[in-house]
Amino acid sequence: MSSNPKRLAEGGRIDRGRPLEFSFDGSKLTGLQGDTLASALLANGVSLVGRSFKYHRPRGIFSAGAEEPNALVTLGTGGRREPNLPATMLELADGMVVESQNRWPSLTFDVQSLNSLFAPFLSAGFYYKTFMGPTRRAWMFYEHFIRRAAGLGRAGVEPDPDRYEVHHAFADVAIVGGGPAGLSAARAAANAGARAALIEQDFRFGGQLVSERPGSAAGTWLEALETELKGLRNVNLMARTTAVGLYDGKVLGLVERRDDAQVAGQARQTFTILRAGAIVFATGAIERPLVFSNNDRPGVMLASAVRTYVNRFAVLPGRRAVVATTNDGSWRTAFDLAAAGAQVTVADLRATLAPALQAEASRLGIAVHAGAHIADLRGGHGVKAARLAGAGTETEVDCDLVCVSGGWSPTVHLTSQLGVKPVYREEIDAFVPGPFAAGQFGAGAVVGDYTTAEAIETGHRAGIEAAAYCGMTKPVPAALQFELAEPAVAAFRNIPPARGKAFVDFQMDVTTDDIALAHREGYQSVEHLKRYTTLGMGTDQGKTSNFPALSAMAALRGATIPETGTTTFRPPYTPVAIGALAGRAVGHHFKPTRRTPMHDWHIASGADMLEVGLWMRPYFYRDAGRDVNEAYVAEMRFVREAAGLMDISTLGKIDVQGPDAATLLDRIYANGFAKLPVGRARYGVMLRDDGIVFDDGTTTRLGEQRFFMTTSTAKAADVMSRLEFLLDTVCPDLRVAVTSVTDEWAAMSVAGPRSREILAAAFPELDVSNEALPHMGFVEGEFDGRALRIIRLSYSGERAYEVYVGASAGEAAWRRLVEVGEPFGLRPYGVEALGALRVEKGHVAGPEIDGRTTLDDLGLGRMVGKRSGFVGDVLRRRPALAEPSRQRLVGLTCLQAGERLSGGAILFKQGEIRQGHGRGRITSVTYSPTLGAYVGLALLAGDVAMGDDVVAVHMMKDEAVRARVVSPVFLDPQGERLHG
Amino acid sequence: MAETVSVEACTILQVEGWPETQAACESELSRQLGAALPADFGEAAAVGGWFAVRIAPRRFWLIADDGSKPNWSIDPALGCSVSLGEGRMRLKLRGPHTFDVLKACVAIDWDSPQARPGSALQTGFHHVPVLLLRTGAEACDIFAPRSFAQSLVDWLADIGVSRDIQDETISRPA
Repeated sequence: MSSNPKRLAEGGRIDRGRPLEFSFDGSKLTGLQGDTLASALLANGVSLVGRSFKYHRPRGIFSAGAEEPNALVTLGTGGRREPNLPATMLELADGMVVESQNRWPSLTFDVQSLNSLFAPFLSAGFYYKTFMGPTRRAWMFYEHFIRRAAGLGRAGVEPDPDRYEVHHAFADVAIVGGGPAGLSAARAAANAGARAALIEQDFRFGGQLVSERPGSAAGTWLEALETELKGLRNVNLMARTTAVGLYDGKVLGLVERRDDAQVAGQARQTFTILRAGAIVFATGAIERPLVFSNNDRPGVMLASAVRTYVNRFAVLPGRRAVVATTNDGSWRTAFDLAAAGAQVTVADLRATLAPALQAEASRLGIAVHAGAHIADLRGGHGVKAARLAGAGTETEVDCDLVCVSGGWSPTVHLTSQLGVKPVYREEIDAFVPGPFAAGQFGAGAVVGDYTTAEAIETGHRAGIEAAAYCGMTKPVPAALQFELAEPAVAAFRNIPPARGKAFVDFQMDVTTDDIALAHREGYQSVEHLKRYTTLGMGTDQGKTSNFPALSAMAALRGATIPETGTTTFRPPYTPVAIGALAGRAVGHHFKPTRRTPMHDWHIASGADMLEVGLWMRPYFYRDAGRDVNEAYVAEMRFVREAAGLMDISTLGKIDVQGPDAATLLDRIYANGFAKLPVGRARYGVMLRDDGIVFDDGTTTRLGEQRFFMTTSTAKAADVMSRLEFLLDTVCPDLRVAVTSVTDEWAAMSVAGPRSREILAAAFPELDVSNEALPHMGFVEGEFDGRALRIIRLSYSGERAYEVYVGASAGEAAWRRLVEVGEPFGLRPYGVEALGALRVEKGHVAGPEIDGRTTLDDLGLGRMVGKRSGFVGDVLRRRPALAEPSRQRLVGLTCLQAGERLSGGAILFKQGEIRQGHGRGRITSVTYSPTLGAYVGLALLAGDVAMGDDVVAVHMMKDEAVRARVVSPVFLDPQGERLHG
Repeated sequence: MAETVSVEACTILQVEGWPETQAACESELSRQLGAALPADFGEAAAVGGWFAVRIAPRRFWLIADDGSKPNWSIDPALGCSVSLGEGRMRLKLRGPHTFDVLKACVAIDWDSPQARPGSALQTGFHHVPVLLLRTGAEACDIFAPRSFAQSLVDWLADIGVSRDIQDETISRPA
């Protein structure tokens, strides 16, 4: 077609009847269904697609797969903008908007290409050597400019409107790689009875077979295999899916891309966690480039990639091609190019060539230079000529395409990710996977079986063995074979050293000179080489550069390849979008929220909700004030003067039952519970093993063998786990069952001088008189057919009752209390007022029970007396925990009118230098409407006496306020308000 | 047929035997229910009008539709029981894409024998501990803590969007 000047008139695995429009740097272009972005760009004659990382050198499309180091583009706009995607892996979709990267103002005229002129000064380690001074902080200044000058694409900053999902999947046999080995393995495993998942990163199965000439035996074989596999119900064909990580337990991380999916409302990317019984690695091999001067010019491509573009996409990337190679396999590229109409020259480093190859070349009119290599290339934005050198002669050949092949490197990334080092095989001059773990198998090029026939056979065997590993042993028909007349792969190691600007790592702009420099400066280990030069640290993770680099270092060191070794392979194999990992866990789905049974009432009644852990709790009610500061003070007044109603459903609740329940409680609480009478509640404190306070709460004895424990909201799960742990390990002899019943009960606190009247009106069938229900007493009954428990407890210091009712009746009970309480002045209050009320009363909570305080620090030591034998008892007696200088709980009152105390303020004695940790800190603070002043709780060193004045300094607020040390109980120290 | 997600209350009674009396407790409960309880941890079985799940080595959940009352009792010397029905909601999923939806929620192999219809499985769902009861080839119930139920329903509805089940019926937990 006319808009695709480099498209061949026929052939290819593309749909010529389905044109697709896309844009590249604003230019409207057309491709075909079945194209990748790279093939469509080449078809349109676009050879310059990017700029290099450091030197901003012009770069073109180098490969046809995931190994692409050069052709990185940014896809999409706005929130969909995704940078650094290899054009070779993007399936062309209608309306695609693509931009090149790392250039300004344009791709063809990039101002920063001036960096190339300063290349001698920008060698490896340049930054570390140059930007070290004049001060230690100078780097922070330089970094900004360096990052702007060197880089990749920019991610979007707007919210991404597309869907991303995470799935779980299972298979008996997972096969990674959908080439001939993988297809054959899937067929064998499925026929053996296994559920097989065949994972292929391309949108077509077939691997290198899709690059064979149309109409070849490969096409027929591929079609037969695909048809058979699609007909098998136990085969899951996963195209467009890359296995990015291998994890313990034969777990694979897979990413599926659907760049056309936003139209259909489907997930654009899906991260699948695949748990397999066995894994067959059929990941193939990646062709190695050759290293010579200016080998990064647009128009230089891997030989196998050119063959892919010619045969699969019907694109002729150049009309005058030089094929530079070390092996027989890439001659097929020369033959296919010639058959497609290109003028071809082969430069083979080997002095002796197979007669059959020479004969075919002669037949196709291909010029052959034996024992020759490319010494240099001429051209800027595209290749113009290659200078061939060999046997003492030099020749310049005009060309617009250079195909290179330095052999093949098995794709060992995935198999090595769990720490299995690849091993070197001399005869193929390549690393193959190290010993496979049980249940893992390899097939095809990844294990060095490069020919299609070998791949099919080893894939077949691996499929049978993998299925057998999973216990599936049905008879399997013989492998489907076919002849492809491929030459065998033989190692060739006499590659001459490159001179000039010869790139080893295209993406990170690492040259042979950089490797030599690293060697001279002592960075000779491949791991040091990597970090010093940034080799292999690009988004392509050095897929094409790894072997050439370690070969170069081996030569410099005079060491062998296996002595030099490889760097460590880690997930992901290809870059993964954070969105794919997050899936739907974004926005309000980032984490689940817990709602109390009264949640809807709070919302309808104007509560501002607060996240407390996962719980949603009423922070304050808008009826009480315009903001939290106004509202909580008003809500405190309701409680102190009439009555307040608080949703306390979030408290942890644990049912403790059994003949030895009291014994368990005696062991886990620092204070005793064995003698607690039935129908009574007690405040209790638990310690950690190290004697530090763990949590507090109340426990009510419902019967001789049954208790109802409450914990703080924050520690509910921790306390439950601790009880189960202790029962299983420390006291397995006890006949006790502990069960979390937190969600079982709606809970609400009615607090205030008129609380008893309200309860009596709400639950007239229950006797809630002081005699029947004294402080720390308990009664039970029914409400609306659900269990009802009322425990008289006070957190606020007022007469108060905790009402527990079956969760399904929670809102009804709440409404009843609100309704009958209104005439008595009952109003709901939120957690801010709750916290303030407890500060006035001097009750400790999370800010004081902070994992550092002891019973004595918190003034609770008297609860324990001479008891012993409880958890934490031994280590709480450590001398350091009894030192008089330890910080202990005190109260503070603000002495300065118009000022306020701040939580977190550091406390200093008057006149002390305000540095360091001071004498203590304010843990909780509130305005007390009763006292008309700001008061707070603090942990303060023992050498500061009651009545002393301190200065509360909040460094970040630049605030210093005088306060007096007082008792932490600001209100009703005798407890008269809560009794009676 | 469209997928549906409905939320219902249910009755759950937890029974646990003491370490030394577990066998006797099980035997006595089986006698009262008129059928054997599941023998192994993770197994489930219909027992005397209840659905019994061995949720832990010494612990059973007896599940029934909401409102069912137990007509049996446990001798405190053998074990104990506690009602959990108020604290759990039963999310019922029905429809041909039920397990496609669940694949985005829980790491369970729905094609394995352990997940056949009638089986009960405990796992984490969006960080929440749940019990899954596979009630049919295209149906599954999720027993979730009441406080988390709305979050899980929201999650299911969101997952359902990309599976062409936008018209599911979702009722909010009571």
